[in-house]
Amino acid sequence: MTTIALTINGEARELAVEPYRSLLDVLRNEAGLTGTKKGCDVGDCGACTVLVDGKPVNSCLMLGVEADGSEVLTIEGLQPAPNRLHPLQEAFIRLGGAQCGFCTPGMIMMAAALLAENPSPSEEEIRFGIAGNICRCTGYTKIVEAIQAAGKELA
Amino acid sequence: MSDVVGTAVRRPDVPGKVTGSARYAGDVNLPGMLHAKIKRSTVAHAHIRRIDFSRALKLAGVKAVLTHQNVPRVLHYGSPHPRSASLACDQYILDSKVRYWGEGVAAVAATSEEIAEEALELIEVEYEELPAALTLEQALAPGAPVIHQRKDNLVLDPVVVKRGDVARGFAEADVVIEGKYEMGRPTPAYMEPNVCMCQWDDEGKLTIWISTQTPFMVRGILAEVLGLPHSKVKVLVDHMGGGFGAKQDLFQTEFLCALLARETRRPVRLEYTRKETFLGGRSRHPATVWLKQGFRKDGTITARQALVTMNSGAYGSHGPGVTAVGTTALTSLYRCENVLLEGRCVYTNTPIAGAYRGYGVVQTYYALDIQMDEAAHQLGMDPAALKLKNAVREGDLSPSGHPIVGHGLEDCIRRGMQETHWPPPKADGAGALKRGWGTGCEMHGSSAYPGIKEQGNASVRMNEDGTVQLFTGATGLGTGAHTALAQVVAEELGVRFEDVSVVHGDTDVVPWDIGAFASHTTYMGGRAAQMAAAEVRKQLLERAAEALEVGAADLEIRQSVVSVKGSDRSISVREAVEPKKGLPSAQLIASASYSPTKSYSFAAHFVEVQVDTQTGQIDVLQVIPVHELGKVIHPVAAAGQIEGGIQQGIGHTLTEDYVIDEKTGRSLNAGFVDYKMPLSLDMPPIRTILLETAPDPGGPFGAKGVGEDPIIAIGPAIANAVYDAIGVRFRHYPITPDQVVRALRENP
Repeated sequence: MTTIALTINGEARELAVEPYRSLLDVLRNEAGLTGTKKGCDVGDCGACTVLVDGKPVNSCLMLGVEADGSEVLTIEGLQPAPNRLHPLQEAFIRLGGAQCGFCTPGMIMMAAALLAENPSPSEEEIRFGIAGNICRCTGYTKIVEAIQAAGKELA
Repeated sequence: MSDVVGTAVRRPDVPGKVTGSARYAGDVNLPGMLHAKIKRSTVAHAHIRRIDFSRALKLAGVKAVLTHQNVPRVLHYGSPHPRSASLACDQYILDSKVRYWGEGVAAVAATSEEIAEEALELIEVEYEELPAALTLEQALAPGAPVIHQRKDNLVLDPVVVKRGDVARGFAEADVVIEGKYEMGRPTPAYMEPNVCMCQWDDEGKLTIWISTQTPFMVRGILAEVLGLPHSKVKVLVDHMGGGFGAKQDLFQTEFLCALLARETRRPVRLEYTRKETFLGGRSRHPATVWLKQGFRKDGTITARQALVTMNSGAYGSHGPGVTAVGTTALTSLYRCENVLLEGRCVYTNTPIAGAYRGYGVVQTYYALDIQMDEAAHQLGMDPAALKLKNAVREGDLSPSGHPIVGHGLEDCIRRGMQETHWPPPKADGAGALKRGWGTGCEMHGSSAYPGIKEQGNASVRMNEDGTVQLFTGATGLGTGAHTALAQVVAEELGVRFEDVSVVHGDTDVVPWDIGAFASHTTYMGGRAAQMAAAEVRKQLLERAAEALEVGAADLEIRQSVVSVKGSDRSISVREAVEPKKGLPSAQLIASASYSPTKSYSFAAHFVEVQVDTQTGQIDVLQVIPVHELGKVIHPVAAAGQIEGGIQQGIGHTLTEDYVIDEKTGRSLNAGFVDYKMPLSLDMPPIRTILLETAPDPGGPFGAKGVGEDPIIAIGPAIANAVYDAIGVRFRHYPITPDQVVRALRENP
């Protein structure tokens, strides 16, 4: 076991982790944050996307120990206040961007990273931005619409 | 009057999905939990000569190992539907024989996933290999390897459907067209890998958290195989990450997880890897359809004959049902009085095919609709006009044997033709890029009748503050079904949508339910919910009538307010039911059961494609799906079903094929890098049009199903558009770039 110190959703945490554990497993098991999903565990689907120091990563492809000293933001930390939703979350609800919801946390985190870098992306830029996040339910149309709407809200 | 139905209310299941608080089966974490893993076979067909797990058991952290030698040997159905005629009882929890590469042969429970995986390597299995039948041809050849103990490799006797006289029909034809169509092996590829968690209490009761569409079927078959009363099995499903039909089976895992938990007296989680969702999951049935039709010069169809052959893989699962539904579907869609159809379902030593959105009709309508396009070109007619001429209509006999209600299919075709100004002008791209348009049509039943006589149940209760709870056994796959059911209840009762909540997901609490499949949840479960709500409304009106001192018939309820018709006297629903001095609060509660027969939804898809004649790449440029649904309950959720179905259908037609090596039976692309699904950049604009021209008297407010329809029509529409673009007729899926290039080279 190795002890790592990191900030998760604004909270300083010290976690004892096996050196071979992925950040995804550390978040889901050791940190108790099951909002981040495991769709493939090999970096193909994007369901496990979280932000590490502001950058989107497939948390299944990063070791927990590699996150030592970094700031991690997961879907649980995206709400600006307990009773308020982030514009992306609100838009996904309103416009039908989530169906089964399993890809949704990763999709929203990827979209948050995209909008942070490019506040008013074109449809093509959105589609490119989420090309590594597989959704099997929606056909992506309503996800793209939701990200566009949230971008306008945030701008 | 429609206050709630037909509006895009805020879906109550979604906030938890966008904040991460929604609990899926794999998110359940119990103290002392063990992790289970399955060892899978490395041969396609063999007897297990010896299996030795003594070394695995000695590994620190390993708590139990199961093989065929120490699990109950109970023959059971893989698909746990109530005993319909189209089921094969052919599975054991673990068997001494393996029938496909990747089948589970042992299971381990250990203190961590890593230790469980290591233990799998320490289990020694000695196989006595048998010749394998890896293709339909091999399985049907004389002297083929016998996969189960029967005379041949047919899962059940063939399905034969006969109407009229095909010989006479073909004799009357001016043109006869015959072709063989071949369909590959797409898989549902839901995002949440199969998962379950089992825990026993000291009274011998099993609790299972599981991602399933059919919790009561899981309860029934677990109880049967493990020898438990239903009251000792509690199945919990809250959110689930998709299923698309395939999560109707039992996957060996549920039994193994339960037995490991019992043996170790600890909770056990068994979660598939993505690779295992391919190996131990369920695909669509690969199929061949030989189809022959006769036409008069004016386009009238005089005869239709078909031989449908479905590849079931190593076990029966839904194979016979899929074969029956897919084969029978060929009686309809395009009118024909003389029909002779045969459907066969065949065992092979390949992974198991199961239920998947479209349930056999994807395969058979792909063949039928493409052949209609071929016929149009031979007859010198426009394809859409030929389909419109032959479209089934009011009063025609449907595949289920019921008369069709309304003119939904004709309406869809006509509307699509209007929207596209059919036939759209040819507009090729630059250089090697050729463009074309195609149409595909479909109809699909809500409910599995007559294969299964189904029943939807619901209980509705009004609380003393006027809020309402619907108790339903229907599962929420992500379609928004619970929202639709709550809308139906709110509309029927006259209360605000926000006042209705849905209780679901616990087989100990909610009414029995057959499961979420067959496009029937809104149609059948919705009708049961409507009936229960109507009864509660009656009780509420009686109570309010006393308070307002009028007759119940003089009252109406809207927006949670009870008013005397034609006056300004009113009380809120809350005031009507709450306790008052000398009057206890009302106990308003009702249950209802509804056994539907069948309704059909219709669609016509209009598609533009672009083919790069140099690389063979096919791009879908736009899709205009027109769907007739009777009554749209939630327009955003309905459109979402259609867009998602089109995505899967584009995948089926162009890229998705789970490939099994024809020499060894090994699976060659069990992962998302090699099994290629449409991504965000691959998806074209979709302009969905929803029609309500043929409401069904059996559905709530006329509503019919929508879940399966969109995946059926898109495939042939693409294949027909490719023909329009480059003049090459493909009669299979997926249609890959190398095939396009080769075909263009051979037919310049």
